[in-house]
Amino acid sequence: MFRLDVDPTLLLETEERRQLREVLREFLAAACGPEELRRQIAGPRGYDQVLWERLAGEIGVHGLALPEEYGGAGYSFGDLAVALEEAGRVLCPAPLLSTVVLAGHALLGSGDRRACERWLPGIAAGTLTATVAGFLHDAHVAAERGPDGWLLRGTADFVPDGQGAGLILVAARAPDGPRLFACEPEAGDCDRTARRVLDPTRRQALVRFRGAQAEPVGDAGQAPAIVEAVRDAGRTALAAEQLGGCAHALDAVLEYVSHRTQFGRPIGSFQAIKHRLADLLVETEAARSASGYAVACLAERTAGSLPVAASAAAVVCATAYRRAVAEYVQLHGGIGFTWEHPAHLYVRRARADEALFGTADGHRVRLAGLLGLAGRPDSGPRPAPAGRAGEVVDRSLTEPENLSELSSVQLRPFEGEV
Amino acid sequence: MTRTHPMPEDFRAEARRWLSGVAAHRGPQGQEWGSGDDSVAVFENWTEDEERARTEHIRAWERTRYDQGWGALGWPGEYGGRDLPAHYEQLYRAEEAAFDVPRRTEVFPVTQQLVAPAIRVWGTEEQKRRWLRPMLRTDELACQLFSETEAGSDLAAVRTRAVRDADGDGWVLRGHKVWTSGARVATWGVAVCRTDPDMPKHAGITVFLVRMDAPGVTVRPIRQMTGGSSFNEVYLDDVRVPDADRLGPVGEGWRVTLTVLAAERLDSGTLGLDNADRALDLARHLPRPLTGGEQQQAGDLFVRTLVQRLIGLRVTAALVAGREPGAEASVGKLYATATMRATTDLVQQLLGPRLAADTGEWGTFAWTEHLLGAPGYSIAGGSDEIQRNILAERVLGLPKEPKQTEEGAR
Repeated sequence: MFRLDVDPTLLLETEERRQLREVLREFLAAACGPEELRRQIAGPRGYDQVLWERLAGEIGVHGLALPEEYGGAGYSFGDLAVALEEAGRVLCPAPLLSTVVLAGHALLGSGDRRACERWLPGIAAGTLTATVAGFLHDAHVAAERGPDGWLLRGTADFVPDGQGAGLILVAARAPDGPRLFACEPEAGDCDRTARRVLDPTRRQALVRFRGAQAEPVGDAGQAPAIVEAVRDAGRTALAAEQLGGCAHALDAVLEYVSHRTQFGRPIGSFQAIKHRLADLLVETEAARSASGYAVACLAERTAGSLPVAASAAAVVCATAYRRAVAEYVQLHGGIGFTWEHPAHLYVRRARADEALFGTADGHRVRLAGLLGLAGRPDSGPRPAPAGRAGEVVDRSLTEPENLSELSSVQLRPFEGEV
Repeated sequence: MTRTHPMPEDFRAEARRWLSGVAAHRGPQGQEWGSGDDSVAVFENWTEDEERARTEHIRAWERTRYDQGWGALGWPGEYGGRDLPAHYEQLYRAEEAAFDVPRRTEVFPVTQQLVAPAIRVWGTEEQKRRWLRPMLRTDELACQLFSETEAGSDLAAVRTRAVRDADGDGWVLRGHKVWTSGARVATWGVAVCRTDPDMPKHAGITVFLVRMDAPGVTVRPIRQMTGGSSFNEVYLDDVRVPDADRLGPVGEGWRVTLTVLAAERLDSGTLGLDNADRALDLARHLPRPLTGGEQQQAGDLFVRTLVQRLIGLRVTAALVAGREPGAEASVGKLYATATMRATTDLVQQLLGPRLAADTGEWGTFAWTEHLLGAPGYSIAGGSDEIQRNILAERVLGLPKEPKQTEEGAR
């Protein structure tokens, strides 16, 4: 059962956030416009170091939601979400999601003060990039005690921004169960191979740990809960990025159909076009609502259940983005199908995003599990539980420890809206 | 601000206290699954006697609200209100939802939320004195005499004529209106009429309030695709209407009509949510495990109910903050009608043959009322297609359809 009782004001943009958005939009328009973006993703790193440092230093994006004791500004995830949305709008290729959200939440979630003190200030300052391995997809990394500490051996694939990250937080199998480790990879004991990727604005790597030195983060036994919390934070962050992408696509199409003339009139005056854009507006507003709610739940634990909100946002925002990018290409006609037009970069981003934290269908099934929308399994014959059926469920959603973790989450009874 | 309003939280607490004294709490789920009323009708199917009895029941509650200061919250004291900002009504509704109070039939919101505000905008002082209190208290209900067989989405094409009567102090109305809910219980009908056929289409329209018991008014139920009757057609055969009952200036009726229509579009935030929740309950209680595909479908319907509520909260939040709501205020009806279809689809999948044939089991064949009623809301109150036009042209600012050179085009 579920009751929505979020304080409505949490869904409203504050004046401070509106100003932050304005600053970021102006900054990113200048520093990460379409031409500039292509230059950055063609470079060796895949993003611009100067832009990265200015985002951290001038605007303070990296530290927005990090506690002051670790070099952050101590604001809330709601502020960071503004930055993620604006970054998503321009497809900013800087590794914010991996460094600030995924690695940042893994460190914070561990409650390991020593680890937080060691790495979070670097993240906040923009001097350290970081990512996670073994969190989002299957990985086979084992941790063993060596003479001088822990060593990691094994492989993790599809590691976001994994090639250049200065720090990798690894969910590994230790002798006494799953555990988190922090690894600052060295060339000698860690091979990193950049994958060819669909979305050049977010790189991925195959990481092979060959006896890489690592330090445990947090206590043994904590790992599954941290991993799940990091995923939900990642889903929430991604939803905000996707909302930004939807809004950009809608704006770009509106601009184009208002000026492109065929048959002697702007094509935006044809109902066939208008109705599609009206539908896209509806989906974008749905995405804004679902993203805003997930952000509120991540920022304020009292706002609602994060697993429910994050999965709902994943469904709504991924679906909306998919539609937005399809319309972005289609309603631009031939020009939208060219290499030079930015539309395909958004198509790439939208589709690659869907592989990050589970597909929309996977999240729908997860929600059904969380909310008990599964019928009564005790009566009648029992087909294979959903999630083992295999065909529709993303693996990242069905690892046993996650679902059993989640179904025990206490959700409040439903009593109607508000 | 020149006056202070109660803090929203205090207001809600006060509302709860008052409601506790006059109404019973709903149970945690309203009722036990598998017992009680299993109706999920989108449009009620009542005989005239039933409709009158239900209306009296609801009216008694509305009078209690009004008389005890919880009715016309946003209205000035002279009309029995408290002069609170618009969103206090939503705050109150959120609290009321937890209590077992009569569910209002359509003619009530039409009277209180559509017609009364239009009278406030367009009425003379005399009309406001005469009409507003009885309407807000629901002593006198009002129905809409808008659509005609040849004027649906293109409402400005109305052909019902109003001509000055012989002595010049009144009007004679002649025409045929359709899709009027509440015509059998309403005191007044708000009639959109053509007073000048020589003017361009949107000019030459005038709005009148017609007494539904006036000689020449004939109400006949329309049987809709559900098999039941919730709407009526209304014949106006030389109905005499005093000029004092004309709402707004002669020839300005289109603007009066738009005032009513705008309110209608914003009044659809919770449309279909009750039945969607009920379908999710069905998914919970179905006496077999759901397949993976069915779980996806149920999960998706849950997401839709969540988003629809969030959109409503965003509108409330904007109003609370004294801001004009943005696009979120206009997408609600289109989102809601899609949710109603998704509800049908899930129930169809879960019930299988029990939706096609009545086995007598609780909460099964009753869903045919939803299946057959839901399409009505994609047509009523501005069809889905008209909603898309409004979003595209008024919210997104896309160019209008080119005007046809011939007069009579929009």
